[in-house]
Amino acid sequence: MVDQALLSLAKFLPEITLAITFCLALLVGVIFRSRPRLSMWVALLGVVVSIALTIREMGITESVFSGMIAVDPFATFFKLIVGSSAIFIFLFSLYSAEVLSTMKRLVEYSSLLVAMTLGMYLMVGATNLLMMVLSIELTGLSSYVLAGYTKEASDSSEASLKYIIYGALSTGLMLYGISILFGLTGGAMDIYAINRALVTSPVNPIALLVASLLIIAGLGYKISAVPFHFWTPDVYEGAPITITAFLSVASKAAGFAMLIRFFKIAFIDSSAVGLPAGIWITLQGFEWNKIIAILSVLTMTLGNLVAVWQNNLKRLLAYSSIAHAGYMLMGLAILSDKGIAAVLIYFVVYMFMNLGAFYVVMLVSNKTGSEDIDSYKGLGFRSPFIGVSMVIFFISLAGLPPTAGFIGKLFIFASLLDAKWIWLAVVGAINSVISLYYYVRVVRNMFLRDPDENSGPLKFSVPEIVLLLLLVVPTLLFGLYYSPIVDFANASARMLGVH
Amino acid sequence: MLESYVPIFVMIAGGVIFGVVMVKLNEWFGPHRPNDEKLSTYESGMEPIRSARERFSVKFYMVAMLFILFDIEVVFLYPWAVSFKQLGLGGFVTMAVFIFVLFLGYFYVWRKGALEWD
Amino acid sequence: MEFVGIGVLSWITFLPIIGMILILFIPKENQKAMKWTAVAATFLQLVLAVMIYFHFNKGSLGINTQEGMQFVEKMSWIDIRGVPWFGRIHVDYFLGIDGLSVPMVILTALISFIAVFASWKIPKALKGYMAMLLLLDTGMMGVFVSLDFFLFYVFWEVMLLPMYFLIGIWGGPRREYAAIKFFLYTLLGSVLILLAMIALYFSVTVPDGATGERMYTFNMLAMMNPANFQPGTLLAGVGTYWRHLAYIALFIGFAIKVPIFPFHTWLPDAHVEAPTAISVILAGVLLKMGTYGLLRISYPMFPELANYYSWALALVAVINIIYGALCAMAQQDFKKLIAYSSISHMGIVLLGMAALNTQGMIGAVFQMFNHGTITAMLFLIVGVIYDRAHTRDIDAFGGLAITMPKYTGIMTVAFFAALGLPGLSGFLSEAFSFLGAFQTHRVLTIVATLGIVLTAAYMLWTLQRVFLGQPNEKWASLPDINGRELFTLVPLAVIVLVLGICPSLLLDLMTSSLNHLVEVVRAGAVL
Repeated sequence: MVDQALLSLAKFLPEITLAITFCLALLVGVIFRSRPRLSMWVALLGVVVSIALTIREMGITESVFSGMIAVDPFATFFKLIVGSSAIFIFLFSLYSAEVLSTMKRLVEYSSLLVAMTLGMYLMVGATNLLMMVLSIELTGLSSYVLAGYTKEASDSSEASLKYIIYGALSTGLMLYGISILFGLTGGAMDIYAINRALVTSPVNPIALLVASLLIIAGLGYKISAVPFHFWTPDVYEGAPITITAFLSVASKAAGFAMLIRFFKIAFIDSSAVGLPAGIWITLQGFEWNKIIAILSVLTMTLGNLVAVWQNNLKRLLAYSSIAHAGYMLMGLAILSDKGIAAVLIYFVVYMFMNLGAFYVVMLVSNKTGSEDIDSYKGLGFRSPFIGVSMVIFFISLAGLPPTAGFIGKLFIFASLLDAKWIWLAVVGAINSVISLYYYVRVVRNMFLRDPDENSGPLKFSVPEIVLLLLLVVPTLLFGLYYSPIVDFANASARMLGVH
Repeated sequence: MLESYVPIFVMIAGGVIFGVVMVKLNEWFGPHRPNDEKLSTYESGMEPIRSARERFSVKFYMVAMLFILFDIEVVFLYPWAVSFKQLGLGGFVTMAVFIFVLFLGYFYVWRKGALEWD
Repeated sequence: MEFVGIGVLSWITFLPIIGMILILFIPKENQKAMKWTAVAATFLQLVLAVMIYFHFNKGSLGINTQEGMQFVEKMSWIDIRGVPWFGRIHVDYFLGIDGLSVPMVILTALISFIAVFASWKIPKALKGYMAMLLLLDTGMMGVFVSLDFFLFYVFWEVMLLPMYFLIGIWGGPRREYAAIKFFLYTLLGSVLILLAMIALYFSVTVPDGATGERMYTFNMLAMMNPANFQPGTLLAGVGTYWRHLAYIALFIGFAIKVPIFPFHTWLPDAHVEAPTAISVILAGVLLKMGTYGLLRISYPMFPELANYYSWALALVAVINIIYGALCAMAQQDFKKLIAYSSISHMGIVLLGMAALNTQGMIGAVFQMFNHGTITAMLFLIVGVIYDRAHTRDIDAFGGLAITMPKYTGIMTVAFFAALGLPGLSGFLSEAFSFLGAFQTHRVLTIVATLGIVLTAAYMLWTLQRVFLGQPNEKWASLPDINGRELFTLVPLAVIVLVLGICPSLLLDLMTSSLNHLVEVVRAGAVL
């Protein structure tokens, strides 16, 4: 038992690195109290090392810790997404007025970000119900605290409280679903064992439906799918921008990874034979993909329609991120590896464009202290580079070529049409037209409206601009040459134990 | 399938009915002779001084949490001590890591000044 | 034809982008340099277009064969072999022109060049304006030269954002509304095109040149060959439910651009609010992209449905002609009048297309070109008067012929061309369209001729209200048209005159291709 665990440790290096980094960041922080930035650098370094170790794991497909965690291309892909967004967030934090204003809590900030990253690393690989819950909790607890990081601001505290209450509720629901599933399958905790049990001895379909709905509630909360999204706007608005950005990308990625893995492994008919490569079918009499499809329609439609009325840019981006979760859910509904690959492609793209949009919001709010759309009036003339970058991120979010966002949408729609889900594709297409309207509202303020009387040009430092370029360039480049991300996503759609 | 749950429902129903019936019987048949003393708040025989709904200093929570932390450590230490030989080196390393992590938390709390009352 | 190892079509498409990048590096104060850089870029583009005109082989068929295409450039752009269950993804950088696209390429180059001059007096943020104008230019040119659907779509969309900014920043009082309306309408059309494109992609396979392995393709020419549609795929077969849906999706996508009634409501708003040069581009080139898309994509890829729906197309064409003309008649705003006349004139293009015979088709494409030049003139003319009087109210003028004789002269040419006076180019294309359509849709064509009468009515009435009658004291001191404005108008007027007398200068380019297009569509099974 112990020996086996020790063997597993060799495949667990990225996570171990993060765990050690967490401890180190904390220690360094409390020992060198006069230099709070030090712990942030330690944390950044630790995440970089963990990414390097993750890259070494590429291509490995293995189960570690007696079936608790899978190390497979799928998990590796999401670890890279989570890890790279964590790096971006650390870099953002170095220039965030909000974060730097509370210098004495920087230690907690850095170490909790690492803890959150660790939780997500575990989420994306968890193949055991127990591990799933534990990793969700680790991620959740760190993020609750971080959402309220600027506790002097009342909306930040409000965000934290709302987040924790909704989080507790949804985790509770999920636990309940898990326990029903546990009972139905005769005490299976491992998702492969659950699948075997469900395939060999059919269970009461209603009980299974209830269990899966409850589990969807828990995971839907993480990815902010409608109707489990209520926390999203308030938390996104109240939390520091860096944390909001991290939640909107990494947290969503981890939630999606877990959702996809759980459903694709536990609830498909693994005994079916003669299916074409890359296509799977649901369990007999339990078409959960229809639930996902309905959820995706609700999510994108509500997200887009409500976003139209927002006046706070963070709130607008919160609803837009809800809508994006809806687009990505479509990829899961079609039950094919193409759909999964499309979701993965979308995530790469989404990371760059969404982080970019939030970064611009942060830069602007550093200078103007406001996240109101009105304060973006004439931004395009006050700081053309920032304005143009924001336009690029927004048209990418709206899915227009030649930006990467178009490629993401293209592959989602392509996989839908390939599977003959025409109506869903049409709904998605109409939604992307609606989304254009609110993205363009911001663009309109930036370029079509004149700046206020006494507002001069905004100047940004060179590192800030370089960091922005790191996000703008991929957003454009992947729109014109997308072979690398598609290849990468294709190779990463492979999961442990699924052929 | 649901039939197998019938005994549980019967049990729940029985419990609810028994509880309600008992309370109500008491209400109907018991004598009601209230006076000031009886209606006042009972606080271990002491006179209640002020409202019970007031805020405690966060320091109490700190101490409580720390207590729980180390309490749990002890809970784990006992079984380990009992089967120390069987667990061998692996067990030792595992526990060392566990204690280290707790120690780290302790160190953090200490450096942050959470142990100072003022 | 190649320059520095790069084909002429790449040059003509990306020259404006080079100009744009140069302009972005010019310091803000140096407005002259920006203008002249834009002039240089579009002038070189025009030179290339002229060279293409002279080197174009008039005999080759084009449409659905790569051999028939000219100045072809084909390179692998995206090639993802990936894993078996995804199939191979292949996108080509595939450019080429035939008789259908060459008039549009020339028109685009010409109109862009003129638009730069028409933008000489842009009041604010000149740098951004010129950069956007050139980006728009690349988008338009790209649409007309690309033969890969993916590439086509990218260019199609690239145009949207610059257009939004051009209307939204430099437009009139209601510019924000007009710009967003334009953007949303067009995007709605685009996503429908996108869906149809993906459906086509998953239905068509071609053998890989090297290995013979069959792979999906965005190649438009391959999509025109029924043999390439894999049985069992979404759009395989003839006249199936899904093919109808795809055809309608494409149709709506392109119809919004044309614009066809009832998708036209963005057009008057966009035209009225846009600055002169942008109205010129909008009417001169952008509207043609809709009909070009129908001819390049919908017709040869869905020939049986092109036949099946030809009466419906004729019907909307007639509605466009009559409705556009009636609306134009009711307008007080000069620009709005021309916007509605555009709708009416694009109806004639549609009518010619619906005819599904050579005369009609030639009439349609010729009318696309002529409408491009004539409407561009009309908008320039409105721009001239608006610059001076700062009003576009038709009734506010009167007797301008006395104060501005040169201006009136050129205006008369444009107006008579627009109402189809024999001897001017507009007459020929209208005549061809009606001639063709009369053979196929007799009753509808007869109704449509009513539109000619209406057009004549509102055009002459406008001419009378603005230029004849009592001179309005208020405008007595208006200066006549200046050299720069003449420079933008005269070439167009010359083209209108020359093509009116000697249409074969342009018709020869397109006849064989359009003949072939008609054959291709006719050969498609009739439902």
